[in-house]
Amino acid sequence: MTRETENVLLLLVGVAIGMIGVAGSYTRYVKPALLPWLLLAAAVLIALALACIVRDVRRGPPVADSGEPGHRHRRGMAWLLVVPVAALVFVVPPALAPRAAAPSSIAVSTEALRRPYPPLPDEPAPVVRLPEVLRRAANDVAGTLNGRTITINGFAMRDGDRVDLARVVIICCAADAQLARIHLAGPAAADLADGAWIRVRGRVVPRPADGNGLAIPTFTVADVQPIPAPANTYDY
Amino acid sequence: MTVALARRLGSMELLIATLVVFALTGELIRGLVVGSPDLSTAATIFCGVFVQAVPFLVLGVLVSGLVAVFVTPERLARWLPRRTGVAVVAAGLGGAALPGCECGSVPVARRLFGEGASGAAALTFLLSAPAINPVVLVATAVAFPGQPGMVVARASASLSTAVVMGLAWSRWGRLDWVTRRLPRSHDADASRWTVFTEAARHDFLQAAPYLVLGAAAAAALHVLVPAWVFEHLAGNLALGILVMALLAVVLALCSEADAFVAASLTMLPLLPRLVFLVVGPAVDVKLFAMQAGSFGRAFAVRFAPATFVVATLTAAGVGYVVLGGAG
Repeated sequence: MTRETENVLLLLVGVAIGMIGVAGSYTRYVKPALLPWLLLAAAVLIALALACIVRDVRRGPPVADSGEPGHRHRRGMAWLLVVPVAALVFVVPPALAPRAAAPSSIAVSTEALRRPYPPLPDEPAPVVRLPEVLRRAANDVAGTLNGRTITINGFAMRDGDRVDLARVVIICCAADAQLARIHLAGPAAADLADGAWIRVRGRVVPRPADGNGLAIPTFTVADVQPIPAPANTYDY
Repeated sequence: MTVALARRLGSMELLIATLVVFALTGELIRGLVVGSPDLSTAATIFCGVFVQAVPFLVLGVLVSGLVAVFVTPERLARWLPRRTGVAVVAAGLGGAALPGCECGSVPVARRLFGEGASGAAALTFLLSAPAINPVVLVATAVAFPGQPGMVVARASASLSTAVVMGLAWSRWGRLDWVTRRLPRSHDADASRWTVFTEAARHDFLQAAPYLVLGAAAAAALHVLVPAWVFEHLAGNLALGILVMALLAVVLALCSEADAFVAASLTMLPLLPRLVFLVVGPAVDVKLFAMQAGSFGRAFAVRFAPATFVVATLTAAGVGYVVLGGAG
């Protein structure tokens, strides 16, 4: 691969990273908080490539790169950079499917984590994110979920004759994805289609005093409403 | 055949042709990927690992560009303490100053690498920078609330691993294993800007293709290693330690995220999870590929397995002392 082609590939990697940042598809792969750093990295790569291209056009390529034996033939490795460019710009793989996330419980419960949580908003059925519901169900000693009707968004997940409400949760990038889930109980939950996006209203069954914090809690459903799938399917 | 074709056509024409082919078949490939659950998981995780690493790699090559401008081998030798042992410990503690993931520290360490004490110090820096910087330690404290022992154990085990590997290099390491050479600038009066951009360009192009290889390996292993592996380890501590060490290698998680993943594996005692946190930033498939790219294959096939053994044993030992046997 020639130096000019390498510069173009450098430029293309920068453009690809910038494009997924601007188009928003980056949320399929990493957490939203990374956006400024992605745009910054894209800008640096594009500037670096342009600086090298402009200098080569003005003065010709530097001598240092041409004369070294053993350096040349390995430069074919740079072709690998075509793979992420093609993947991010042309193929754009979808967000992780629920079955691909590690089947672990999100609510990390040890006795050390148990603490009183602040009360939920004073509304009839406040919307609470699923990971937050699980953390409160496992660790809250103030019992803020007890006797409260809440609303949770997520997708239905059929597992044998059980139905769960689930979200795929990522911490940093898609490689560390985990599945947050809560069992649904009640007639309203019985005939939900697998993968359907829903908004459920109901109550979390309180954890028994001697219960295991690792057990997946159960949610008694009062009513179910279908919702459109969100643009960003992950939760954090 | 591709190589012969490339020579006749010129690499620029080939690149443009490749991109046109991908642009035309993108929808088709997308259909194939979406149609197969394993393939789509692997493709998404590949993109996740690569995209996540790029900002850190860019930070790394910017620092290595600055190193190329301001830190000549003579200057580094003058700054470093004369005794190798002291120099290695100083480099290990210095690693705390570069906040970021492991991908960024590879090009920086390659720039700092030289003969004698600076070689050992650069390798110590390579191992300590991703593991003991403040961002990673704060993430660990957040992931393991109420267990400050975990932060202490992680920092001391990672630092010890880095120092031991640095000292081991100064004792047994051989410079001819490092087959990748940095291009020397023949242009003595090149401006600082030129030296900086050339170094950053070279180091990115050197490291990024290996990041692609490593991300692909991590994505493949994610799909191939069955999930039940996690769930059947609680009983046997030694087996748990070994499997968590191997998982750290194959999962190739970012060192800022691995604490949260380790925290979620509540079925395991703390000790195997500490091993996971110490081994991960020191050696994983992505890092191995990048070390092979920046230092050479002969170096990587010796350094990475040695690091794996040292990190596993150190973490197990430190964990036993700090966390107690059962964790």
